[in-house]
Amino acid sequence: MLIEALVVSCLLGAAIVFFTPDRYAPKLAFGLSVPPLVLSLYAYVAFDGSGNALLGGEIAYETFAEWLQLGPYAVNYHVGLDGISLPLVVLSTVLTTLSILSAWTPIDDRQSEFYGLVLLLEGSLIGVFAALDFLLWFVFWEAVLIPMYLLIGVWGGPRRKYAAIKFFVYTNIASLVMFVGFFALIFGLGDAVSSTGMPAIAEALRAGQLGYLGTPTVGVPPDTLAIAAFLAMFVGFAVKVPVVPFHTWLPDAHVEAPTPASVLLAGVLLKMGTYALLRFNFTMLPEQAATLAVPIAAIAVISIIYGALLALAQQDLKRVVAYSSVSSMGYVILGLVAYTVYGVGGATFQMVAHGLISGLLFMTVGVFYNATHTRMIGDMSGLASKMPATATVFVAGAFGYMGLPLMAGFMAELFVFIGAFESTVLPAAPVFTAIAMFGIVIVAGYLLWAMQRSLFGPFELETDYELGRAPVHDIAPIVTLVVLIVALGVAPDLIFEMIRDATLDVVEFGFGGGS
Amino acid sequence: MALIYELTPAIVFLPLASFALALFFGRWMPKKGAVAGILATAGALGLSVVTLGWLLLSGEVHDQTWYTLVDAEMGVDLAFGILIDQLSAAMLVIVSLIAFLVHVFSLGYMNDEGEPGLPRYYAGLGLFTASMLAFVMADNLFMAFVFFELVGLCSYLLIGHWFTEDAPPSAAKKAFLVTRFGDYFFLVGVVGVLVTFGTAGFAGSEGFPALAESALAGETSVNTFGLSTEGWFSVLGLLVLGGVLGKSAQFPFHTWLPDAMEGPTPVSALIHAATMVAAGVYLVARMYGFYALLPTVLGIIAFVGGFTALFAATMAVVKNEIKQVLAYSTISQYGYMMLALGAGGYVAAFFHLTTHAIFKALLFLGAGSVIIAMHHEEDMWEMGGLKSEMRTTYLTFLAGSLALAGIFPFSGFWSKDEVLFETLVHALGGSPLLFGAYAMGITAVFLTGFYTIRMVMLTFHGDPRSETAEDPHSVGWNVKFPLSVLGVLAVVAGALNPVPIEMLTGAEVDFLHDYLYATPEALLTGAEHYSSLSSYGSGAIAGGEIGTMLVNAGLSFGLAVAGAGLAFGLYRGGSPARHTERLGRVQTLLMHNYYQDEYQVWLAEGFTVRLAAAADTFDQGVIDGTVNAVSSVSRSAGARIRQIQSGVVTNYAALVVLSLLALLVVFAILGGWF
Amino acid sequence: MVLETVPAEYYLVLSAAVFCIGLFGILTRRNALVFLMSVELLLNAANVNLVAFAFYWGNVTGQTFALFVIALAAAEVAVGIGIVLVVHRNFDDVDVTNATTLKW
Repeated sequence: MLIEALVVSCLLGAAIVFFTPDRYAPKLAFGLSVPPLVLSLYAYVAFDGSGNALLGGEIAYETFAEWLQLGPYAVNYHVGLDGISLPLVVLSTVLTTLSILSAWTPIDDRQSEFYGLVLLLEGSLIGVFAALDFLLWFVFWEAVLIPMYLLIGVWGGPRRKYAAIKFFVYTNIASLVMFVGFFALIFGLGDAVSSTGMPAIAEALRAGQLGYLGTPTVGVPPDTLAIAAFLAMFVGFAVKVPVVPFHTWLPDAHVEAPTPASVLLAGVLLKMGTYALLRFNFTMLPEQAATLAVPIAAIAVISIIYGALLALAQQDLKRVVAYSSVSSMGYVILGLVAYTVYGVGGATFQMVAHGLISGLLFMTVGVFYNATHTRMIGDMSGLASKMPATATVFVAGAFGYMGLPLMAGFMAELFVFIGAFESTVLPAAPVFTAIAMFGIVIVAGYLLWAMQRSLFGPFELETDYELGRAPVHDIAPIVTLVVLIVALGVAPDLIFEMIRDATLDVVEFGFGGGS
Repeated sequence: MALIYELTPAIVFLPLASFALALFFGRWMPKKGAVAGILATAGALGLSVVTLGWLLLSGEVHDQTWYTLVDAEMGVDLAFGILIDQLSAAMLVIVSLIAFLVHVFSLGYMNDEGEPGLPRYYAGLGLFTASMLAFVMADNLFMAFVFFELVGLCSYLLIGHWFTEDAPPSAAKKAFLVTRFGDYFFLVGVVGVLVTFGTAGFAGSEGFPALAESALAGETSVNTFGLSTEGWFSVLGLLVLGGVLGKSAQFPFHTWLPDAMEGPTPVSALIHAATMVAAGVYLVARMYGFYALLPTVLGIIAFVGGFTALFAATMAVVKNEIKQVLAYSTISQYGYMMLALGAGGYVAAFFHLTTHAIFKALLFLGAGSVIIAMHHEEDMWEMGGLKSEMRTTYLTFLAGSLALAGIFPFSGFWSKDEVLFETLVHALGGSPLLFGAYAMGITAVFLTGFYTIRMVMLTFHGDPRSETAEDPHSVGWNVKFPLSVLGVLAVVAGALNPVPIEMLTGAEVDFLHDYLYATPEALLTGAEHYSSLSSYGSGAIAGGEIGTMLVNAGLSFGLAVAGAGLAFGLYRGGSPARHTERLGRVQTLLMHNYYQDEYQVWLAEGFTVRLAAAADTFDQGVIDGTVNAVSSVSRSAGARIRQIQSGVVTNYAALVVLSLLALLVVFAILGGWF
Repeated sequence: MVLETVPAEYYLVLSAAVFCIGLFGILTRRNALVFLMSVELLLNAANVNLVAFAFYWGNVTGQTFALFVIALAAAEVAVGIGIVLVVHRNFDDVDVTNATTLKW
């Protein structure tokens, strides 16, 4: 019942905030985001699951109820958490609460609608990570788009309509492609499955029960079907991640989105893509993933290097962070394709780490923007002398992004590198890994350069007002994030242990590479 | 386990605590956090000395995992551990001593001068010290990398301390980026070692050097990714070496170090003498059991070291700022240490690391004292005649300079002589390639003597060449105390290991040698074990070992004196001429550091930034252009097709009827009605 | 009975003729009221068919449907007249080709 309580408390909170006068909405929304946060932390503390939810593991907080019958397929209400989804649920609740705080300053109209949508988003996100039935999952997956579309389209910057529509249409078309791919698989399984439950489908696919789509005479043979479905789902999820060359909606959406929406977009929404890749492509179709290992790894490496180069070229601080997300998510793909515990586990760890760090950077850029009303690096100089606390946090966050040891990002990258290096699935793994690792130099380059130009040097900013100290509700969330990032960097086993436990079954598949 | 080893982690945690205190409460603390820093480093120094003493008395070493980050049931564990053996115990004392003195000196350099941002400064110093100490006691390569990087972070923070000016943030960025470039290779190496051996431990039969040894002997096999065993190990060794070259400012990664002079002078002392730059060389010494297996890599290390020693020395000759001369001398001296390590002179390298830590810290603090006196003027041509006004500074600085120049009997002479001696002996023993490295090293001795004495002459001798030089600012006890301690040590530290005396008299005075050989065999990190691994033979000229020693000592002392004498002759007198300008185009070349900065800046700005801009254009034009093209094609197609919707109901009805008729015709044809 | 002498084809021809008149009206006339009347003709053409076949097969289902259609037609006329009134109010005319402002 815990997951239901989580989702319902979010949705109920959203409903209450919708009907609250704007004046009270911010504080009320913050208060209403605490119960889900506490519940998710309780879920973390009391977690008693083991193994992978799709592969016969012990599912925690599981609920199962019959929902409806769709032809030969039973569609059930089936939710539960394992070591992969629980950290992401906690990430969602933590980031939502913090982003609500960070919204107090910049959001000054239609507050009740804004905060209501944020809470609605939170509920949908938790649903995505908890659902274990495909159709139920798909409902949540699509439901996430609506609040985010509105958050960008209503409270965004000058080109908000363009960005919101681009975001919505791009990701929605991708969902369609993915949906077709997945249903082709279900039909290909024929009588082997009788429901749209993800565990049953995963077991059947891994057991090689995929048959012809259609009949053996006029139909798609299983091998072709599996590869085609893998590609369709990969493309569908790759847009969400996003992976080069499907990434161009991301910078536009980030630049136009208000800070709290950016935080949730980069922090959690992108993880939906990688989470789904792990749950669907890499758990259900390992053989196809191994077949396509080289092109996927190549895409990952290109995302890393190319994304970092793009970040280097940007003049808008928010665009820098946005493009760097493309780069960071490349590490996740590289870890997944490695098929090692360190690789897949590191990829999952990177999802959480990147969620925290990119959230931190977006929030900090937002705090600077609140004070200076500009995000262009060329317009700022010497901010550190006027806003020391914020600048310190930004420096900490930037070094976290660069992979400074004892911070979560370093651990995540190291896991991915170890996992990718020792991969037996990926040919020439050390070469791919070594090229990907060069990303850590470029990321240091653009962040240090951006900091040098915006934070340091003599203070120069054309304003007709004093830059005041940032208020406590601006500083508190970013400091909290720094603490979390360092905590995960010093004690990665806080979540890495359960992640490893849940990924073990994924990589154990015949070729189940190395250690 | 001895009680002292229970307390070893406190050596790291004391400075770490001073970091946290200064960062959060520094504003309200006495001397803005300086007192906490001094107490913490004094505590660390005390504990280090006790540790060293215990090790000397009992011979008991310590190697234990202290904290496990990732406890993998399968695959590699990632853990922090403490390894206290002869090497690390001695290094702990050096680092904490220098850190302590730098903290004291900072009272005079930063607090008394009323600098801003002191809590930040002391927080940085504390973290710097803590990271370096943790790096020194690391028992595995992963932990070493972690703190190696943190050392880099601290150097960034401290070099960029005066961030409201333009130059320091730029220099800090450069320092971090250049070392990061080296660390990239290091990280690939760490991952490679972890994956290859399943462990990154330095010591014992479970450590990776021991595993590598048995793999090379063919007793065990490891995954070598398609290369030969030695080939793959050499690749790993070279990858780790990338980090070493970056941090120890060896060619071609040396360019960050002279720029790093933008930081406060005590920080320069800390960086150059005991922390950041020393970290690279220390790492090679730490995993020498691995490098000793790989003759090719050793040869490369020796050559890079010898070349850097000479290369940096030539640039130091023409510099005009006192700190610039010292910066290039640091690069040059670390080149000697690399030369020694590469040439199989493990003890010599550590000996030179020790003496250099002392005299370079002394020289930087002395330069800091001069800079205080000169009201932050660093150009030596604005100085002159300071010796009468600044007695303590002059005497101690002179002691440090003579040590640096390698003049008998100052400490630098003994260690540099041993470095060159080891190189020569091993070159004669069948490794003729080392002659090249030796030749570069011995040439650099002459230049070292020249630029060191030139610096002393310009700074302290002659007539004052500016108004500030006539009436320098006085300095307090907190400046003179560290200088005096280091000054005495710079004179006597050679007594640690005066090998020539032992050879000539037979007296057992090579204390450091015996000390490093005393490491228990089980750890496999002792000098004795390393010498058994070494593939270098020994040779001699001029009638045996003593003859070789005398030839080498004579040569190095003679060249040092010649260089020093030349400088003394040229820059003597009230107002010396700018002799180096007579070098003409060579001088221009040297002043521009062989255009090393130019090409590296070109790589960063000319090449990478332009590549990034091109990528951005491509991204906006081609990739996003495609996305936008898809949407505009659908929109324009829609705009045309919607013309059908005229709004006139009659048209719709006509369309319905026509479509129906068309369908009927189609069905009729398909159904065969015609 | 007179009806028994009339063959089914006659009803079909009548129904087709009425339908074509209605269709012709829809395709050519602009006046909304005539338009509405033409729609009525179409519906009644269908009704004739329904009733005729119901009689032919001796089954009341067709007649039932015819009643349904009559009821629907009544409702449709009510809505249709309403629309015509609104069109007239907005465009001062009952010409259906004028009411195109909601297109696109």
